Amino acid sequence: MKTPLALTTAGRPDGTAVVTAVGEIDLSNVDAFTAALTTALAGSRTVVVDLTAVEYLDSAGLNVLFSHAPRVEVVASALLGPVLAISGLAELTTVRGADGGPLAG
Amino acid sequence: MSGAERIGRRELAFPGGGEMSRRMREHPWAQTPMGDPGTWSAGLRTAVRICLTSRFPMIVWWGPELRFLYNDAYMPLLGTNHPATAKPGEQVWSEIWHIIGPMLESVMNSGEATWSEDLLLPLSRHGYLEETYWTYSYSPLHDDDGAVRGVFTAVSDTTERVIGERQLAALQDLGAQAGLARDAAEAGRLVARSLGRAAMDVPFAAVYLRRDGGDDLELVATSPADAHPADLPDWPLQEVLAEARPVTVTDLADRAPRLPSGGWQAPPTQAVLLPLAGETGGRPIGVIALAASAGRALDAAYHSFLALVARQSAALVNAARAYQNQQRRAEELAELDRAKTTFFSNISHEFRTPLTLIAGPLEELRSRPDGTGAGGSEQLEVIHRNALRLGKLVNTLLDFSRIEAGRMQARYEPVDLAAVTAELAGVFRSAVDQAGLVFEVDCRPLPEPVRLDRAMWEKVVLNLLSNALKFTFTGSIRVSVRAEGQEAVVRVTDTGIGVAAEEMPRLFERFHRIESARSRSGEGSGIGLALVQELVALHGGSIGARSREGEGTEFTVRLPTGTAHLPAHSLAPAGEPRGVPAAAEPFVQEALRWLPQGDGDEASAALPSPVRAQATPYRTGGGPSAPVRVLIADDNADMRDYLTRLLTSAGYLVSSAADGLAALEAVRRDTPDLLVSDVMMPRLDGLQLVAALRGDPSTAAVPVLLLSARAGQEASIEGLDAGADDYLVKPFSAADLLARVRANVELARLRSHHASWRTALIDSLQEAFLVVDDQGAVVETNAAFTDILGYGPEGLPYPVPHPWWPDRARHPQAHRQAREAFTGLTDPAEGARVTPVTHRDGHRLWVAATFNRVQEQQGRELTVGTFRDVSAEHYALQRDTAVAALSVRLAEAAGVDHAIRGALEQFRALWQARQVLAVTFPEAGEPTVAAAGAGGAAPRWDTLPAEHRARLETLRRGPLLTAISEPGGTAGITVEHPGGLLALRIELGENRPFGAEDRTLLTLLAGRLGQGLHRTHQIDQHRETALTLQRAILGPSRLPDGFAVRYEPAGRPLEVGGDWYDTVALPDGRLGIVVGDCVGRGLQAATVMGQLRSACRALLLQEAGPARTLMALDRFAALIPAAMCTTVFCGVLDPADGRLTYASAGHPPGILALPDGSIRLLDGGRSVPLAVRPGHHRPEAGCTVPARATLMLYTDGLVERRRRPLTEGIVQAGGVLDEGRELTVDGLATSVMARLAPRDGYEDDVALLVYRHPAPLDLTFPADSAQLAPVRGALRDWLGRCELDHPVAQNVLVAAGEACANAIEHGHRDAPGRAVRLRAAATAEHLRLSVTDSGSWKPPQPGRDPGRGRGLILMRALMQQVTVEPGAAGTTVEMHTRIAR
Repeated sequence: MKTPLALTTAGRPDGTAVVTAVGEIDLSNVDAFTAALTTALAGSRTVVVDLTAVEYLDSAGLNVLFSHAPRVEVVASALLGPVLAISGLAELTTVRGADGGPLAG
Repeated sequence: MSGAERIGRRELAFPGGGEMSRRMREHPWAQTPMGDPGTWSAGLRTAVRICLTSRFPMIVWWGPELRFLYNDAYMPLLGTNHPATAKPGEQVWSEIWHIIGPMLESVMNSGEATWSEDLLLPLSRHGYLEETYWTYSYSPLHDDDGAVRGVFTAVSDTTERVIGERQLAALQDLGAQAGLARDAAEAGRLVARSLGRAAMDVPFAAVYLRRDGGDDLELVATSPADAHPADLPDWPLQEVLAEARPVTVTDLADRAPRLPSGGWQAPPTQAVLLPLAGETGGRPIGVIALAASAGRALDAAYHSFLALVARQSAALVNAARAYQNQQRRAEELAELDRAKTTFFSNISHEFRTPLTLIAGPLEELRSRPDGTGAGGSEQLEVIHRNALRLGKLVNTLLDFSRIEAGRMQARYEPVDLAAVTAELAGVFRSAVDQAGLVFEVDCRPLPEPVRLDRAMWEKVVLNLLSNALKFTFTGSIRVSVRAEGQEAVVRVTDTGIGVAAEEMPRLFERFHRIESARSRSGEGSGIGLALVQELVALHGGSIGARSREGEGTEFTVRLPTGTAHLPAHSLAPAGEPRGVPAAAEPFVQEALRWLPQGDGDEASAALPSPVRAQATPYRTGGGPSAPVRVLIADDNADMRDYLTRLLTSAGYLVSSAADGLAALEAVRRDTPDLLVSDVMMPRLDGLQLVAALRGDPSTAAVPVLLLSARAGQEASIEGLDAGADDYLVKPFSAADLLARVRANVELARLRSHHASWRTALIDSLQEAFLVVDDQGAVVETNAAFTDILGYGPEGLPYPVPHPWWPDRARHPQAHRQAREAFTGLTDPAEGARVTPVTHRDGHRLWVAATFNRVQEQQGRELTVGTFRDVSAEHYALQRDTAVAALSVRLAEAAGVDHAIRGALEQFRALWQARQVLAVTFPEAGEPTVAAAGAGGAAPRWDTLPAEHRARLETLRRGPLLTAISEPGGTAGITVEHPGGLLALRIELGENRPFGAEDRTLLTLLAGRLGQGLHRTHQIDQHRETALTLQRAILGPSRLPDGFAVRYEPAGRPLEVGGDWYDTVALPDGRLGIVVGDCVGRGLQAATVMGQLRSACRALLLQEAGPARTLMALDRFAALIPAAMCTTVFCGVLDPADGRLTYASAGHPPGILALPDGSIRLLDGGRSVPLAVRPGHHRPEAGCTVPARATLMLYTDGLVERRRRPLTEGIVQAGGVLDEGRELTVDGLATSVMARLAPRDGYEDDVALLVYRHPAPLDLTFPADSAQLAPVRGALRDWLGRCELDHPVAQNVLVAAGEACANAIEHGHRDAPGRAVRLRAAATAEHLRLSVTDSGSWKPPQPGRDPGRGRGLILMRALMQQVTVEPGAAGTTVEMHTRIAR
């Protein structure tokens, strides 16, 4: 059984693709996450990854973000703040809070 | 109602998917008196729902017919009666209705609950007919209107308790047999008899013991006792014996189909054969076969019971065997003692006679101016002969002591045995010829030389020949040498008087003299043949004897040829041929003296012919009268000569006889004026001679003077009792003899007038006699005085202080006693007073002295005293006292080490020793040392001086129970210790001698100590057995997570008590927790404890709640006499949220240690102890155990101390609990027990139960990423129960997730699906987490696998400490973080 994760991809008016994840991301469903991100990146220069409704993100999920770091922008809740900060992702790409401001980590 | 509707309702009424739920749903209720379930009362519906959803066997009996409704769990108990849905109860349980029917009726009528306990139900639930016990409780079921309409029955399985208690009783019964058996076989029979009373658990038993240390097993006893040997199975006994481990026989039904079944329906099918362990871990002493009841599975618990039976049995057999050994040893010691006494008696005779004969002639020689004179050379001959005899005797004794000490230096050279033996025999020829015997020497040459030590061989042959000559009066003596097979055989055959059959076994026994009717001489020490046997054994040979009384005796010596049987270093090349050895002369000389022709002696059996006196005959009175005639009776020719010469020269008319019979004939023929007779003579000894004379009126008046070498009062009394007139002890002086002869002749004349005076005189002469002047100086003594004290008349007078007083400085008390006895003197009313004195040679004596003041004619006051030597009595008394004191100490000892310490103290006091050491040498490992008397630190084996260690090692290798003393003032002995050997070493005070009496005393005490240690060890073992059982009853073997328990019996005297703890998993997931304490100790308390514990368990399982459980227990306890006043803390804990409801029956409050360091007492819900006020209401209290808090329940033994309020102990316990809040629960329990223990151990037993909330998390899941989410869910839950701050919880969750992902991805990349284990535990301030997989991680290689590195980085960043332990069996990640408070 895979960890429940809902992924939706939408386009912004400016053409930027937005991948929204709801649930938890771990080793078991990271492939789906990778696929969604890869598909979105194929049609868009940069992709906003909205993790606001993600309660858990492990290093498998982080790896995906790292491998596309220059072209993704991450939106997340405070819950993921420490993980994103410690992993160093915040230094490679833009990480914002749900309110658009910087994410406390 | 539609069908679907009906089914829906039925599912509501009969929930669950079990068989009974289905059957009940399908049951045509409408056709029964119970009617459709829709019409049932709410009470019945609830009861049925509870019944069907419970995992415990339950029954609902409903309505006037008690219709029978039950659940799946009850089905096996119903056996073939199932299915019985809604049948009337009487039809279902017709066979036991007479029991349960009335019980059910009473519940229906009274509305009061009742129960039936421990019903035996043979069940076939595991594929065999099983012995099971059940307790049924019956509670009323009310209808909606409140009337009792049914009964609810919960059933609990009490099999384990019933059987456990029965086995406990069986083991106690077995233990109670201790000390009854006097030998091993009897112990075996007692074991069997005891097991016969435990047939339910051991339907059949057989005890086999090893025969005399061999591997041969002997069937000693069976249970039942009448088992026919033919029915016994063919057990693999030797296998058990050889490997010293149990063997289980599973095909018993085939091997022995007719074995008794022990009351069960079927005969046993399995048995366990167990070795009976030897005393000190040595080889098994036997095997016990124990059949297992067919009614029970032979599981681990059964095995351990059987093992305990075997252990108890072995202990009984060992104890009996030890008793037997001690008994035998005591008998051997007594026998040895007797032999020693006989020996010394004989040997003193042997020494004294030659001494008299040397001293007498010498005295005469000295009295002549030129030292020669007419009889000079003849007398010198006498001296020479006797010197030879004495020398031979001394040499023989020396040989013996050399052999004894293993110091005999042998030199085995190749010898022509025939030639050497013939030559030795030749030496005896003249003596044999003179005796008128035929002497045959038949020594044929042997094919090869025989290895001999010549000097030893000479002694063998000479002793045998001398022996033959001594006892042969007619016929022949024959010596032969032959080769027989690989042996050289030498035979010495005579036609003498022979040896009685009953004496044959003791022929070669040391110091044993065959009391024969007739021999050429009464002389002999009884060691000649014993020495011969030892000497032959040194040659690797053997000696045997055949004899027939009155026909003769044949001795056969067999010597092996070759050299293989001899030690290589003792072999020597052939020596120079030698002539007749010097050793032969004393033998021949001695033999010649036995013979009548030897020196022209006229006597032997011939008529005594008077010898005319050469000097003026002695005459009685003043006027002319007949010369006085004296008859001398003595078997020693020299002595006869000497006495004849002496008395003749004094003017007596002397005749002589060579033995008692000849003397008797002579007296009868011609009555002499005085008979001077030796005591020890062949044919008729001196005492018998006197008795014969006194028995005949015509000779009754002949005065008799007995001469004997036997010193001592007893011997003289014996002589005087026999009717002798006087008694003279050898050696005596010529003057002494003449004085006595004269006195006796005079006395004989005066006898009628002076009989009483004479008696008084002799009495005083037999004791030491002394006269003390008014200054206290001893001015006169007698011979006995000199004998006893060593101070002779030459030293007179002896002024105060007398030299025999004990040294004033070293023995002040003894000195004072002696001074008072010898100077304070005279209170005749006191009678004899016992005082210590010192012999001239320094040894200590005890004498009983009596003094009388007399007025001398000149008016001077003198004191006359007599005393006798009572040392033997004194030491015997001292020994008895010391042994009794040691026995008391040993009886009080609580354990082997304690017993040793007590004994050491006593030894030290007894010998005023500087130090006493006891070193225990175990079978393996370092010796342990106990000491008494040494100041400073107790010595250890490795701190003892090397010299002491070496001496102790020597002691250890020596024989058991043999006291030795060493120069330098130490004594030692070894005894058996239950764990090996115990060596005792006593460092005596300065110059303290260690004499024979001390040795005897030490041996006795050590023997008693050995017995005491053995007994103490047995008691220890019994206690350990009881403790094992207590622990087995206590269980539970599987504790719920988060709990730790301890049970510690009281220190000394250690007895199991009535404390218990218990945890019960309730059907709803909650836990019952109980700690209780029954009054009293021992088996009764343990039994009551078992009953209360079971009852409490059953009540909690019925979800009664703590207060109601205790109220029900009140009623239950009121029925059991010893259960009164039991205290109990009973709680129900929800492990999910920490909510606890509890009630206490007079029990100390539980203690709660909170994470913030504060302590709370659970002192609500309190009421009186059990059964004090049955029926009264009990309160209940509630609280929540906060996250990371620790709960501790205990019995008062943990905190109660003498002279200290209980509250103080509780506060102290709270402190220890708080300080341990960072330990694991198990570590915490250990710490509490250790830190609260008094110095000498707990005085009362202690039960302890510790719980920390929440219980640690322990998850095992397959290595599959799909598991990650559920595992995370469980962890999230658990972290919630730990009440961690949200961010901390998230950090832990992520770190744990990374570790789990790693385990799945890397640990099991090649083997997906294998197990990963996640464990987490929280203490007050810390959280520890570990993830274990069974794979191996490769070290992370940054760059190649950046994702992996990221996981570790996350873990390290989120937790305070992370360690990765790769191992062969798997990798473990340990993480640890501090939880903010």
